[in-house]
Amino acid sequence: MAKYIVKRVLAMLLTLFVVVSLTFFLVHAIPGDPLASMAKALPQQTREAYYARYGLDKPVFEQYVLYMKNLLRLDLGSSLKFAGRSVGGTIASTAPISGLVGGIALLIGTAVGVLLGILAALNKGKWPDQVIRVVAILGTTIPVFVLISLFQLFFAVKMGWLPSSGWGKPIHLVMPVMVMCIGTIATYSRYVRTSMLETLDQDYVLTARAKGLSEFKIVTRHVLRNSLMPAVTIFVSSMVGIFTGAFITEQMFSIPGIGFYYITSINQRDYTMVMGTTVFYAVLFIVMQMVLDIIYTLIDPRIRVAGGK
Amino acid sequence: MRKTLSFLLALVMLLSLAACGGGNTPNNNAPQGGSQDNNNGSNQPSGGAQYYNTYLGTDPTSMDISRISDTYSTAIVTNVMEGLVRLGEENGDYVMMPGDAQTWDLSDDGTVWTFHLGDNKWSDGEPVTAEQYVYSLKRSIDPETGCPNDNFLSPIKGYNEIRNNGADPDTLAVEALDEKTLQITLAYPMASFLEMCSNSIYFPLRQDKIEEYGEKYGTEPEYTIFNGPYAMTEWVHNSSITLTKNPHYWDAANVQIETVHYSILGDSSTVYNAYDTGDLDYVSTSEAEWMDKYLSDPDNNDYNQIPSQTLAYSFYNTKDELFQNANIRKAFTLAMDRAELNEMCFSGANIPTFGWINTTISVGSTNFREYAGDTIQEMIDELTAQGKTPKDLLIQGMEELGLGSDPSTLTVTFSLAGTDDWFRTYGEYLQQSYQSTLGINMEISFNDWAIFYDDVQNGNYQIAYMAWGAYYNDPYDMLSLFHTNNDAIMTGWSNAEYDKLVTEALGVQDEAKRIEMYKQAEDILLREECAVCPVLTFVSNYFYRPYVTGYSTLTFGSTGLKGMSTGARP
Repeated sequence: MAKYIVKRVLAMLLTLFVVVSLTFFLVHAIPGDPLASMAKALPQQTREAYYARYGLDKPVFEQYVLYMKNLLRLDLGSSLKFAGRSVGGTIASTAPISGLVGGIALLIGTAVGVLLGILAALNKGKWPDQVIRVVAILGTTIPVFVLISLFQLFFAVKMGWLPSSGWGKPIHLVMPVMVMCIGTIATYSRYVRTSMLETLDQDYVLTARAKGLSEFKIVTRHVLRNSLMPAVTIFVSSMVGIFTGAFITEQMFSIPGIGFYYITSINQRDYTMVMGTTVFYAVLFIVMQMVLDIIYTLIDPRIRVAGGK
Repeated sequence: MRKTLSFLLALVMLLSLAACGGGNTPNNNAPQGGSQDNNNGSNQPSGGAQYYNTYLGTDPTSMDISRISDTYSTAIVTNVMEGLVRLGEENGDYVMMPGDAQTWDLSDDGTVWTFHLGDNKWSDGEPVTAEQYVYSLKRSIDPETGCPNDNFLSPIKGYNEIRNNGADPDTLAVEALDEKTLQITLAYPMASFLEMCSNSIYFPLRQDKIEEYGEKYGTEPEYTIFNGPYAMTEWVHNSSITLTKNPHYWDAANVQIETVHYSILGDSSTVYNAYDTGDLDYVSTSEAEWMDKYLSDPDNNDYNQIPSQTLAYSFYNTKDELFQNANIRKAFTLAMDRAELNEMCFSGANIPTFGWINTTISVGSTNFREYAGDTIQEMIDELTAQGKTPKDLLIQGMEELGLGSDPSTLTVTFSLAGTDDWFRTYGEYLQQSYQSTLGINMEISFNDWAIFYDDVQNGNYQIAYMAWGAYYNDPYDMLSLFHTNNDAIMTGWSNAEYDKLVTEALGVQDEAKRIEMYKQAEDILLREECAVCPVLTFVSNYFYRPYVTGYSTLTFGSTGLKGMSTGARP
């Protein structure tokens, strides 16, 4: 197992290196000047000083070497667009906020989604199944900005129960979490329903039934454990997703999360910010991938690490 | 919804949101606080809680006055900083109120300004000194600082040497005669210099704080220091900003509102919902549906319609093989039906504009457009009187260039700085209308702002569309954009006579003479050369809750929060 983990860590570092390098050159290859967001023609001297300050005057490869060196020291540089704001600091202050909102939404969404999925599978073709299917379709097809507008209109403007947007108090979490849950619930209920139905058709379930086990025991002991595999897979990848923030949701609720930087930094050619957010995402993704593999070995006896025994 | 965001980005200075105002407002007769003779706003309604909730469309980039150029930063800076003078409002007209400078003198030759500072203090209680102004201006002109706005310092003696010949920033002619006396020497007399001084780049800076905080200066309230009516006390990036009344401010007695809360709201439907729930005391809209809704309830919504200082225009690459010809440029400028375009692409919300100087700019008390007339409309009428059409001008130009006389052989590319639905509609309209009036083929190039900007700066375009907001109320502000030394609009156009008129007019104190010189310059730009195609002036529509009083109704800049009150808040 130790050998396996060392191998995995080395592979992770290699992947990270490739991702960072590729992103670096791709970002610098996009046409467009990072100073364009100032919307003004800067005097030549000022432009040069600006380029020199951020090292943009050097050849791209030299910039790349410099960036990699700084990266080894965990220095992500400072934003080209927001004078003086460090990229690392920005990520450190915004990602936890996205993580909090997304995390709560993911937990609630997963729990509700799995329950609904089980309910739908056990009532296949009956009314609960139909209702859940409709909810799932709505949840995945309504664009999130439409959903948010409707929620704001109903819960804030009409009923006055919740603030329409804002950040700082626990109550500000309610509507964003509700909005973000819906997609998760829809996804999980569909996955769990399908995989549960599959499992219910397996021979060992038939055997269990033949042995006279109660339906409750069959579901909880045998079916559920095996049906949750796909749910675990998507759960882990959704965990990465929560730290990347939901741009539209965050923007519409004024949540100071990281989503804004993922999207706008590209349009603004804020090179350091694009790089920083990409590195952050890549690290999270790769680490989570490894965690996922380890979890698999724990819950699925069919998967065993070679030489692990 | 994302349309709004990119629209804002592309039109750069379009909506000045909370910070802007102006125009004719019959229902705003609230007293203006902050003037010398207005005693503590005693005629303001009082009793209600003094807090004000408003919004910004985007997070400001910084609070460092040397490093900002966006509307959003400026909107906040106006309220947390004090300059030599402060923009004020009297009977709908703007006036320059004393700020840090309580009095000022101008030398007989019109070049030496001496400002006598009062007793203003910074938010940490330290006095404001002339030396802080000297430091600030020299810091802004230093290329190392990377100031995007330093062309506002161009009237100051020494600017050109520093900017163009690499002279020491220390040679800028700003001097602290003593702790409270600041002297600024101009390279030439400039009648509107005092107006220029209300621009944020003329605000003071604290050297000790900038050295202490370094790069972080202006990024967070704890790394910034303020000398204005308010201090920023909280800044949650992309979420909210809180301003609190600054007790050290020299005129704190005339500051009514105690706390101001800005929500950062990038989405228009969220803005309307927040206004409807009472979370905002103010909303700006140009969407017909929401306008109708608020207009139908005048008891709860005080309405202000204000032509902005922002002009939308197309401009030509005069180095292009086709658009090097003035007749061809004229054909494109005259072929545009501005009223129809306003209807088709802006729901008729804006003002079709027939000159480079938009309808809101004056010289002294004379409105420039009223004086100079609707130049482009006159050109259209003259052409029609000769029995010609813009297409004839185009053919004439083509023949001059030896391109034959068949417009259908031409393919022209129009560049737009946006890729969303609105820009698609706009592009389609242009394509269709130019194809039918001029008989050419037109292709539209949609790009995001950064690519568009790059193409334009490198002369890699034929016609492009943009908007520009004037900063202060003098035609020079707009006309100087086409001066040979100014590369803000990269048309490649240059005209010695034009340069001479614009530069000389600046120093002419006689208003009648000055406006005539500006008119002549604009005639060269449009009538003779047609380097640009003005399209329309944007109009802003603001709604305030009725308990908000004293807000700015100026077209130029904003008097900010200083004179405002929510004393009538229930």
